[in-house]
Amino acid sequence: MKALLIDVTRCVGCRGCQVACKEWNELPAEKTRFFASPKGYQNPRDLSSKTWRVVTYNEAQTNGRFEWVFGHLQCFHCIEPSCATACPVSALQKTKEGPVVYDPDRCLGCRYCQLACPFLVPRFEWDKAIPKITKCTMCADRVAAGEEPACAKVCPTDAIVFGEREDLIAEAENRIHRNPRGYVHHIYGKDEVGGTCVLHLSNVPFEVLGYRTDLPKISLREYTKTAMQVVPHVKIGLAVALGAVSWVIQRRIRNGRDEKNGSSSGGES
Amino acid sequence: MKAKSLNLLSGQSVIWFLAVLGLVLIVYRFVMGLGAVTNLSDGYPWGIWIGLDILAGIALAAGGFVMAGTVYLLGGQRFHVMARTAVLTAFLGYLLFIFGLIVDLGRPWNIWKPVFNWQHESPMFEVSWCVMLYTFVLFLEMLPSVFERYRLEKLHSLWRMMVPWLIVFILGLFTLAMTHSPQWALAMVAVLLVWEGLIRLRIMPRHAEVSILLIAAGVILSTLHQSSLGSLFLIVPHKLHALWHTPILPLLFFFSAVMVAPAMVIFESLVTERTLGYKAHLDLLHAAARVMPYLLGVYLFLKLADLVGRGAVPHALALTPQAVSWWMEMGIGAVIPLVLFMTPELIRNRAGLFGTSVLVIAGVVWNRLNVAVVGVIVRPWETYYPYWAEVFITVGIISVGLLAFRWAMRNLPIHVEGESPHPA
Repeated sequence: MKALLIDVTRCVGCRGCQVACKEWNELPAEKTRFFASPKGYQNPRDLSSKTWRVVTYNEAQTNGRFEWVFGHLQCFHCIEPSCATACPVSALQKTKEGPVVYDPDRCLGCRYCQLACPFLVPRFEWDKAIPKITKCTMCADRVAAGEEPACAKVCPTDAIVFGEREDLIAEAENRIHRNPRGYVHHIYGKDEVGGTCVLHLSNVPFEVLGYRTDLPKISLREYTKTAMQVVPHVKIGLAVALGAVSWVIQRRIRNGRDEKNGSSSGGES
Repeated sequence: MKAKSLNLLSGQSVIWFLAVLGLVLIVYRFVMGLGAVTNLSDGYPWGIWIGLDILAGIALAAGGFVMAGTVYLLGGQRFHVMARTAVLTAFLGYLLFIFGLIVDLGRPWNIWKPVFNWQHESPMFEVSWCVMLYTFVLFLEMLPSVFERYRLEKLHSLWRMMVPWLIVFILGLFTLAMTHSPQWALAMVAVLLVWEGLIRLRIMPRHAEVSILLIAAGVILSTLHQSSLGSLFLIVPHKLHALWHTPILPLLFFFSAVMVAPAMVIFESLVTERTLGYKAHLDLLHAAARVMPYLLGVYLFLKLADLVGRGAVPHALALTPQAVSWWMEMGIGAVIPLVLFMTPELIRNRAGLFGTSVLVIAGVVWNRLNVAVVGVIVRPWETYYPYWAEVFITVGIISVGLLAFRWAMRNLPIHVEGESPHPA
C-alpha cells in the first residue's frame, strides 16, 4: 500500500506542495483573510473545497527557543476510512493502492462522510447548485500512472516522500533511532484510527501542530460494527417474537371471551 | 362562535403564507446552493434540518407503528379508532421527511442510488432502505382508506391478494442487502411465509381489514429505522459529547421513539378536536397516559444507568453549554413529565394531559437536537446557529404537512365517527 511520509523537521514552509496540489488538481484560488494569531502567516486558514492541502504555521518552543514548525493538513487516507464506512453508496472508497477516492456519480450529498471523518478532511461545495465532496486524492491519477503525488514531487527538502507504507514506517523509525533527541518518539498515523497512509514525524508534540492526539487506535468502523451486525438478528428475531406474542395474546383474548360467553360459541374468529 | 372561525381563518392563512415562503426559499436553495440559505459548514455539515426535520420528525412519526402494532398484534383492539389517524400522521410525516431530505441532500437526484449500490456497513445505507421501505409500507397501510372513499372494490381485493407477497419480497430483499448473505435472506423469507401460511390456516391471528404481515413489517422496519438513526452517531466518538455518545445510542433512539408515541397520539387527538372538531376519545387517551409513567421510568433508568456505567457523570456536572442542554432535556422531557403523569388529578383534565404530553414531545425533540447539533463539537472557532432561511424552510415544510393533514382528515375516511370504542 502506497503512503506519504511527512517529516515536519525538514519542512521550511515554502508551500510549494500547496501550489503544486492546486495546479495538478486544477483548483481555483480563493480569497483569504488575515486571521488572529498565533498562526498569522498561515494562508489559508483551513482546508476547503478549493484547497486540499494546507501548510499550517505554528510557533513552538524547541530547545528553549521559539521557531516555526509547519504542520500539514490533507487527507490521511486511512487504512479503514470512516468516510468510506459512512458512505451509503461507496462513493468514497479505499483503493488497494492506498488512495481514498471519490465518485461523484454515486454521491447523494448527505455529508455523513464529513461528520464521520476524524480529521475534518472532506469538504463540500456549499456555493454550488451541483455540489461535490472534495478532498485530497493522493493524486490517485498520478499514482495509477506510476508517478508520485504532486506534493511529494515538488517538495524541495524531501519533507514529503512517497513510497510503500511499510518502507516509510521503517524509514521513520530509522530517523527517530538515528536522531532520538530531534524527534518526538511517535509516528503519527501509524496506529491512529487503525493506521493511515499519511505518516507524520515531528520535533514538537503533535498537539502543538493542532493534530488530534486523543483518537482511538482502532478504526472508527469498529464503533458501528456491532450495531450493523445485529440488524439481521433483530429483523428475524422481531418477526418471530411479534408472531409468537400476537398468537399468545389472541388466544388469551379468545379464551377470556369464551369464558364470558359461558363457552357457548367458541371457535369464532 | 364568529370570532372563533375568524381566528381559525387567519391562522390558516398564516400557515399558507409560511408554506409558500418555505417553498420559495427552497427554489432559491436549488439555484444558489446550500451555502446561500444555511449556516452549515464543513465543521457542521448537519444542522437543524437533520436534527429537527429528520431525527425529531421520524421519532414523532413513531405513533404509526406503535399504534398499528398495539392494535393488530398486541391485542389493543380498543385503540382501533385511533390507529388510522396515527398511520396517516406517520405517512405524511415520512413524505415530509423525504421532501426535507431532498432539500438537505447536496445531490438529491442520486437519492435512489442506495437501491443498487449496496454498502451494508454504513448506518446511512440502513437508514435509506428503512425510509424507502417503511414509506412504502405506510402507503400500503393507507390505501384501504382511499379504496373505501372512492369505492374501488376490485383494487381493494387486489390489494388483499398482493400485500403479503410484497412484504415477503421487500423484507427478503432488505435482508439480502444488509447481509449480502442468501442464507439470511432465505431465513427471513421462510419466517414470513410460515407466518402467512399459519394465518391462512387460521392458526395465527388474522384480521378482516388489514394484513397482519403488513403491520408486522411496519413494526420491524420502524424498529430498525428509529434505532439506525442513533447508529449514525456511533462513528463519531471524537465529535459527539460524552453525554450522548454511547454504544446504546440506537437503543435509546428506538426506546424514546416508542415513548413519545402515546404522547403524540394524545397531542394529535386533542389538537384535531380543537381545530377540526373531531371528538377525542378521552377514555383511550387516559389509557395511553397510564402507560407513560412506565415508559418514562424505563427511559430515565436507561439514560442514567448508561451515564453511570460509562463513567460520564462528571460531564453532566461540569458547567458547559452541553451539560446545561442535557439537564434541560432530561428535566423537561423526562423527570417533570414523569412526575406529572403520576399525578391523576392533572392528567384527568384536558389541559393537564395536553401540557404534559407536549413536555414529553419537546424532550424528545430536544434530545435529537442535542445529538445532531448541540453535542457535536469540532474546533473552538467553529460554531453553528441556524440561518433564518434554514428556519423558515423547516417551518414551511411543517406548514405543508399541516395543510396536507387537514385535507386528508376531511376527505378520507380516517376518523371513524360514531363507532363504538369497544367493538363487541
